Amino acid sequence: MAEHDLPQRSTPRSYWALSVLPHLVLFGALMALWEGLSIINVIDSIMVPRPSEIVSAIWRLYVTERIIYPHFVVTFTEAVTGFAIGATIAVVLAVASSLSDVFQRYVSPYAIVLNVTPGIALTPIIIAWFGYGMGSKIALAAVICFFPIYVNALTGLLQTDEDREDLFRSLGGTKVQVFFKLRVPSSLPMVFAGMKIGLTTALIGAVVAEFAQATEGVGVLMGRFSFQLQMAASIATLLSMTAIGLLLFYAMEFLDNRIVFWGRENRMARVSRARAKAWQRIMHK
Amino acid sequence: MAMSGRIAPSQANPAQPGASLRLRRLANHLGLFLVLLVLWETGSRLGWLDPLFYPRPSAILRSFWLVYFENANIWWHLYVSLGLVLAGFTAGSILGVGLGAVVGLNPLVRRYLQPYVIVLEATPRIAVAPLLIAALGFGAQSKIAIIMLVCFFAPFINTLSGVMNVPAEKLELFRSLRATKWQTLRKLVLPDAVPVIMAGERLALTAALSGVLVAEFIQRDQGIGSLILVYTRNLNMASAFACIFTLTIIGFGIFKGMELLDRWIAFWKHQDGRERVSAARARAHAEEA
Repeated sequence: MAEHDLPQRSTPRSYWALSVLPHLVLFGALMALWEGLSIINVIDSIMVPRPSEIVSAIWRLYVTERIIYPHFVVTFTEAVTGFAIGATIAVVLAVASSLSDVFQRYVSPYAIVLNVTPGIALTPIIIAWFGYGMGSKIALAAVICFFPIYVNALTGLLQTDEDREDLFRSLGGTKVQVFFKLRVPSSLPMVFAGMKIGLTTALIGAVVAEFAQATEGVGVLMGRFSFQLQMAASIATLLSMTAIGLLLFYAMEFLDNRIVFWGRENRMARVSRARAKAWQRIMHK
Repeated sequence: MAMSGRIAPSQANPAQPGASLRLRRLANHLGLFLVLLVLWETGSRLGWLDPLFYPRPSAILRSFWLVYFENANIWWHLYVSLGLVLAGFTAGSILGVGLGAVVGLNPLVRRYLQPYVIVLEATPRIAVAPLLIAALGFGAQSKIAIIMLVCFFAPFINTLSGVMNVPAEKLELFRSLRATKWQTLRKLVLPDAVPVIMAGERLALTAALSGVLVAEFIQRDQGIGSLILVYTRNLNMASAFACIFTLTIIGFGIFKGMELLDRWIAFWKHQDGRERVSAARARAHAEEA
């Protein structure tokens, strides 16, 4: 019945062509300019490698020599594991802090100290504690991704609309119901925002720990290439880090879209269409 | 709606507990902190924690004394690192705010720059450090370049979003009063964006501190980062912790300093700032009259 009010999906293909094509043209022009300047020696091609060299380095790393994959997997695992540990601790502490004022009062000074200390400063110490292997990278990733998630989750959990809470209470909602049906859902957008920041920081933690001391990982590979002045390979490795970052970011974005569907208009429309359909089926039976 | 007894507590302002209660809470906090320290110390003395890896609080205190007064070797490294932070932060954040404003005010540039910004945002920017060191050589330039790069992004993004998210009604008001472009920029867009820009600057300064550490971890000649590295390598963990707590204090100083700066620049966001400035303006006005 309310189906007509819902916005329909519309993404005409010509629009895509029109909006993507100029970007590609500009990108191509920039690369051609760079390549040209490098060929006529305006740009020092040892320090700033040509785009064609970077492309061939990517080809070597990924297709012919295939040396990047194990490093890629190591860094990815470190970042994701560290993130999982840090995020779990952060969310548990945030929930406890939101439920108990006293708990929050006693935890927050330590959380603030942890926040104002550059977590990266702990790198050597964490390496001494957890060894040269993956453990130390995971630990550093967990330490530095903790705070943004904790703060965002706590802010989200504490910022509930009082009118809505009154509504819940006046309908006889229990404390548990208020928590799970009101506080948790309304905090989710903030939590996801924190998690997106946290994932990026976790990746930074893993990579920095690899720079400091490690035997494998994208950071190691990159340090090695730069010190051999293989700049093209080094940039190619850097681009793989970007790829890891984008992968993690879009995975989180995907989850965010799925779970917090009411925050996005098209997802909202889709879910409410599905629900309306299900509802109609029930009604017509 | 919601008349039932909610008004009374909100007027009583529960967020501002009395002085005696605050004092008692502070005492509780300190008590808990001391208990934790004592536990740590005794745990270490009883052999539960290896003091080689987990230094005792007393050892850390002694190291503070050592690095600051007896050997007094931290000062030089602090001076070097903070100098780099200041240089890199100033350059990076000026660049970030400037470019952010240009890009934010220009839809065409924005559209073409957006994909690059997304890619840059996903790259761990600190990871460029070895590349920059290789390209610029050992020395202060490469470190400053790293800090600049790390500092650039937050002010850039925040300026961009601050400039773009000016409320449409306000813009319409300015247009309907026939404000020039420059007036709109100076009197509306920039003031409106200032709180967001300041938030970006705060992030950037914190990032600068991390940036200098990473630069010094890679290029271990001088500075607080290399000092921490040397101490840890020698398993002098207590002194390493003294350096780290020094960074905590600096970080806290940065946090508080930026907050003060924010209160001073974006005075209209805070009650006391508003009152202070409007009192000053009223006085100036009265004198003129």
